[in-house]
Amino acid sequence: MAKKRSEVADIDRSLYDFTYGEEGFERLDAGLTPDIVREISERKEEPAWMLDFRLKSLEIYLKKSGPTWGPDISGLDMDNIVTYVKPNTDQRSDWESVPDDIKDTFERLGIPEAERSYLAGVGAQYDSELVYHNMQDTAAKMGIVYSGIEEALHEPKWEALIRERFMTLIPPTDHKFAALHGAVWSGGSFVYVPAGTKLDFPLQSYFRLNAKGAGQFEHTLIIVEDDADLHFIEGCSAPKYNVANLHAGAVELFVGRRAHLRYSTIENWSKNMYNLNTKRARVEEAGEIEWISGSFGSHVGYLYPMSILAGRRAKSSFTGITFAGAGQNLDTGCKVVLAAPETTATVETKGISKGGGIQTFRSSIVATPEATGSAATVSCSSLMLDADSRSDTIPAMDIRAKNVDIGHEATIGRIGDDKIFYLMSRGISEEEARTMIVNGFASPVSKELPLEYAVEMNNLIKLEMEGAVG
Amino acid sequence: MDRTSGNASGAVALTGVNAMPAPTWSWLKMNDTAVEIPAGLTPAPAAVSVEPAPGSADVVSANADAFDDALVAAGKRFASRARASAPGDARDHVALAAGEVDPMDVPALSRYQQGAVRVEEELSVEEAFETGMGAEAYGYLRSIGERPCVLEVPSGASAQVRVRVSGTPGTASVASVDVIARRDSSLELTVALNGTGSEPGLIGAAMRVFAAAGSRVSITTVQTADDAFISLDDAGIFVDEGAHVEVSHTVLGAGRSYTGLAADLRGDAARIDVDTSYLGAREQVRDFNYQIRHLGRRTTSSMDANGVLAGASKKVLRGTIDLMHGCTGSEGAERETVLLADERVDNKTVPVILCDEDDVAGNHGATIGHVRPEQLFYLGCRGLSPEAAEALFISAKLEDAALNAPDDEVRANVIRLGETVIPGFGEEIA
Repeated sequence: MAKKRSEVADIDRSLYDFTYGEEGFERLDAGLTPDIVREISERKEEPAWMLDFRLKSLEIYLKKSGPTWGPDISGLDMDNIVTYVKPNTDQRSDWESVPDDIKDTFERLGIPEAERSYLAGVGAQYDSELVYHNMQDTAAKMGIVYSGIEEALHEPKWEALIRERFMTLIPPTDHKFAALHGAVWSGGSFVYVPAGTKLDFPLQSYFRLNAKGAGQFEHTLIIVEDDADLHFIEGCSAPKYNVANLHAGAVELFVGRRAHLRYSTIENWSKNMYNLNTKRARVEEAGEIEWISGSFGSHVGYLYPMSILAGRRAKSSFTGITFAGAGQNLDTGCKVVLAAPETTATVETKGISKGGGIQTFRSSIVATPEATGSAATVSCSSLMLDADSRSDTIPAMDIRAKNVDIGHEATIGRIGDDKIFYLMSRGISEEEARTMIVNGFASPVSKELPLEYAVEMNNLIKLEMEGAVG
Repeated sequence: MDRTSGNASGAVALTGVNAMPAPTWSWLKMNDTAVEIPAGLTPAPAAVSVEPAPGSADVVSANADAFDDALVAAGKRFASRARASAPGDARDHVALAAGEVDPMDVPALSRYQQGAVRVEEELSVEEAFETGMGAEAYGYLRSIGERPCVLEVPSGASAQVRVRVSGTPGTASVASVDVIARRDSSLELTVALNGTGSEPGLIGAAMRVFAAAGSRVSITTVQTADDAFISLDDAGIFVDEGAHVEVSHTVLGAGRSYTGLAADLRGDAARIDVDTSYLGAREQVRDFNYQIRHLGRRTTSSMDANGVLAGASKKVLRGTIDLMHGCTGSEGAERETVLLADERVDNKTVPVILCDEDDVAGNHGATIGHVRPEQLFYLGCRGLSPEAAEALFISAKLEDAALNAPDDEVRANVIRLGETVIPGFGEEIA
């Protein structure tokens, strides 16, 4: 006999689905041409090398074909995407001078409050430009630099460093949307943590894409020098429209010897977003990168943070959760390259699909011949909340090194009736029981987040779970 | 469609061989493979022999259409199970074109996911039937073999059959076999793929299996060819209600060995167990593609691969458990253990679970490594060097194959190969 299932109700996303007009904003024409690329560069008064870089990237973009192995992106028509939208303000360092509608947006998202409570610095980007950037004096006195990347590009001291590192981990030749990013990138953060410096409180960048039919292409470049330590948090959201929006940002992280970087992200894009983001870290000897990643929004998502363990005893850990609901196809996971002796990597992911949503875990572990004595473990679990949803697991391993130890485990299934029965027999409603179980399932991720973000993640799960009794 | 291309020198290039149903990043070079077959190979049908055991001779059938007829008949029974609708299917796209739905409410399916929905909603059993190596390789193999040998086991009967392919240099020797195991029958089929000589040759098998309700089919394939040979072993298996198919692949020889298997668990409580054992040495290539598609309710699959790679050998193992919509109560499990006995080896593994049904369980695991330091220490205390310890694992793989060989001829072939890897191997196990 078929099991009885109830309907899955629409969820209330009003916390994120609000918009303001674009009065006074500057929009370039939709589409992608050399003239548009030149105009972006000109507006930013960039050095000539950056304009050359953009134009070469555009050539690569036009030659490269899109991915054929993942979710369909034919609904993304670049001729209809506006690559640059400048809000009606310049970058500010105090919230009071930010225009009211933009300030209200970030206040509703809780950013100024978070800054006051526990952050050492905040950057807030609205559409294509940073509108707010500030860092506490204590962090500045430690020699830490946290600024807009474009601002840093105009400082002779940092321009050389940015030129040396910019899009070297993610070259425009990497894939079509890396090339697109290289051509039209705008906004984003630059962080430099000097050797031996440990920042006790996190820095955060928040990206809000408000404009309908627009793209956001921020570039984050973080350099954590030898023996330094940083926790960086990235948040993203957008209101929902019925046309495609595009996010093709890039994150490049350089982790020095014995340095440690934790990079936490809660991506909560609206469900009309094509999120084609690229993140990559290079870790030197005995350094460590920790990725904490939550993917909740987007119509289509392609997101695979990559760790290149280039130095002996370098480490990486990836902890991620993806929640795909109705209309969503989220293809997420990670890549690890063990490229030096005695490197280690751990991957733990959770995937949840519901209401006809599709989530795919995709990974690669590559051990080069230099990775003697290295080890990696991958563990992924997927939870199906109904029979209309889909959950795929596609992990790949390419091992060419001596004395390596690679382990992989994956499971897919649904919430056991016995668990629901147990909780219901103790007076808990079925919906509440399911939410509790899903929260427990997600706890390896939420426990790695700062408390406020863990609460946000659990709220997102609760939103997604409303009406999910079946 | 046969996309096989011959180049100017008369060589044959097969593309898209052993393609994973749901591909991953192209740069990993795991999604499929290309097979170059040298020019000048002459088909050698005489190199293939079919040897029914005493009392099993009458299973060799003259009914060339028996397999296709069985598949069509099954298709009629299962037509009513087609899925009515799925998120992102053709109906959704018609509604999209008519502007009746918000495009952002329709999931953007990948190519594989679109194909899976077509299998669930539109394709008949015979249209969905496939082999593991794909249509191009299967068509090539069938074009080399003579008329397929049809083995038709009557309802309730039991049979044992041995198929031998004995390749020689300069020839292409392929066994084309159709198996129809009728209701509640049982069949033990052994396929011995062997080839000797130092000049190029090709050996292979192209097999279609229909396991009717309640039947038991056991297929044991042992491949022991010399390095000059290419081995292509392709199979497609349909498993009906309550049928159980066991497959054992032992791949020890051939310079390049390609193994493909696709199974359609269409009937309720259908089951397949695939056990793979392989050894790679020198410059050998081992390429596997297993696809198990669960469509029936309470179906079960297991894939267990165990291998040793030595020298500069290369291996790709693609294993896909596909839990399709409607296969409630099904379970799929996949496990691989690989021992890397040399730093020059290249080992690629991609164990995939595709899941379009919630009331299922899928799991897979892989363990890839060298002999552990504590194991080496233990063996070192007993006078074995690390090299000798690793040789011991290779020897164990060969010994296992020799001891479990289905007959003396296969055993002799295993020992012959063993001598090329471990001199004195024959005396060791004598």
